[in-house]
Amino acid sequence: MSLISVAPLVIILLLLISSFVLPFLKKPIKTSLPILGALTLYAWIHGLTYLGKDMYTIQAGHAEPPFGIALRVSAVEIVIGLLFMTVTTLIIWFSAQQFHREVGEKQQKTFLVLVHLLVASLLGIVYTQDLFNGFVFIEVSTLAACGIIVVKNKADNIKAAVKYLILSSLGSGLVLMGIAYLYALTGYLDMNYIHEALVPIASEKSRMILISMVLFMTGAGIKSALFPMHIWLPDAHTAAPGASSALLSGLVIKAPAVYFLKVCVMVYGYNMINQTAFLQLILLFSGTGMIVGSLFARTQKNMKRMIAYSSVAQMGYIFFGIGLGTPAGMAIAVYHMLGHGVTKATLFLVASTFIDKLKSYELSSLKGVGREMPFEMAVFTLCGFSMVGIPILPGFISKWNLALATIETGQVWLLAIILVSSVLNAAYYFPVTINGFFSDEEGLKPNDNHVAKAPLAVLTALLVLLGALSGPILKLIEAALT
Amino acid sequence: MSILLDNFIEVGSIILFAIGFTTLLVHNNLIKKIIGLNIMDTSIFLYFISIGYIDEAHAPIFKEGVVQYVNPVPSGLMLTGIVVAVSVTAFALALTIRLHSIYGTLELDEIMKMREENI
Repeated sequence: MSLISVAPLVIILLLLISSFVLPFLKKPIKTSLPILGALTLYAWIHGLTYLGKDMYTIQAGHAEPPFGIALRVSAVEIVIGLLFMTVTTLIIWFSAQQFHREVGEKQQKTFLVLVHLLVASLLGIVYTQDLFNGFVFIEVSTLAACGIIVVKNKADNIKAAVKYLILSSLGSGLVLMGIAYLYALTGYLDMNYIHEALVPIASEKSRMILISMVLFMTGAGIKSALFPMHIWLPDAHTAAPGASSALLSGLVIKAPAVYFLKVCVMVYGYNMINQTAFLQLILLFSGTGMIVGSLFARTQKNMKRMIAYSSVAQMGYIFFGIGLGTPAGMAIAVYHMLGHGVTKATLFLVASTFIDKLKSYELSSLKGVGREMPFEMAVFTLCGFSMVGIPILPGFISKWNLALATIETGQVWLLAIILVSSVLNAAYYFPVTINGFFSDEEGLKPNDNHVAKAPLAVLTALLVLLGALSGPILKLIEAALT
Repeated sequence: MSILLDNFIEVGSIILFAIGFTTLLVHNNLIKKIIGLNIMDTSIFLYFISIGYIDEAHAPIFKEGVVQYVNPVPSGLMLTGIVVAVSVTAFALALTIRLHSIYGTLELDEIMKMREENI
């Protein structure tokens, strides 16, 4: 095993260890940022070496699966891992300039410790091949995610965190029950072994398998804000400080969705999920989410709340892809996670720049801001374009391919949902841009707080790059999922 | 009926799960919600451990002359599960204390009412 091939395990371990060292440092940001940067570089070297090669596993410890824990490394895990590392580093870079102003110098230390823990656990959820190990990482990520909401010690934050914590624990309880069902059926926890043991008994125990599927869907659905279970998301993502919102909306809600996708593909397999009514259930929830989430977003007056509701709609797209039950659909779900992760993180960072400079949460305060802050408004516009689905940007590519995959499965009427949702997206992103650039009203004067622009520029470049390279990326992901 | 009686541990744990689940969702009091959460978690532990349990087998510690041990894997997993549940409970209680010091009540609907009045 070379040093490059074990990168995922080393990155997770180093992040966990560093999170315990940070509290003892005087200026933790000066240590945290280089660590994250170096690890991101390491992840990219690993990613570029192993993307397109065969999937392999890394053993954590001496025992071999089914008893030991293995990390699975294929194109899906690599691209999502790269997304998590890169976006986190950029968010922390951004927050270095701004976070202490919003929350306070002392809380910044806590925040960084929690972020290291959070990213380690998110990477763990993505890479692990062991169901129970995934559950433990999910719980760690829940606690850390609640932590980065309450670093800002306001009544709103605590209220939102309590709601999030209780619903999240409910979700992980359901996931654990699903794991218990599968363990009772097969006696394994390793995804591949469970699959092999499930296939011969699939028809005999179909009811128990269906129950476990629904348990996983509800559990992961609560954590990933699948439509009817999304009620915690707007509060939590609005109350959290800017950098935390970007992390929560861009990354944290993706990880359980990846876990769910891996359970669908590796544990049950395409045959088994296509034989049950389970996929229709996901399509129903995600389809409603895509439309209702956008409708809610349209009526919001608070900038961050609008972006948060837009996340509900976008998570609908991801689950819609999973619900199609084909390799193409799953690949788009993964691609949309990449696209949405970058876009939403950027949007929240831009929003927190606006809030920092204008001292107002209202969407109406953005009128005429385009003249004073053209760069920020342009970034916002570009991200809005991606959400709506303007060609070349990732949002368009996932919608286009989602439509193609839908036609392939023969459920043509579902196209209507994608179209309506896109139109609704346009209905709440375009007015902000139009008012921002072309309003005659004199806008609010921004104060001269220094806010970093470079991370936003890098994120925007990443966004365009993701769109431009969509062909090869989708091909890689799909090859890993078949 | 005999299926229910034969698998009384499983049935019991599912009933406990339902009790915990409804307590968590229906009650407005935060402490009751946390209690519900714990009942739910415990029911899963019970279910999991019953999977690995073998009648009259010994605890998985090596001893001369013992032929059969219970399956140690579920117990080991649930040890981790208990740790996780304890930390979630502790965190939830800490947040509850904070919330109580701000609003002076533990009922979520009253807190919602106060927030609306403030806005």
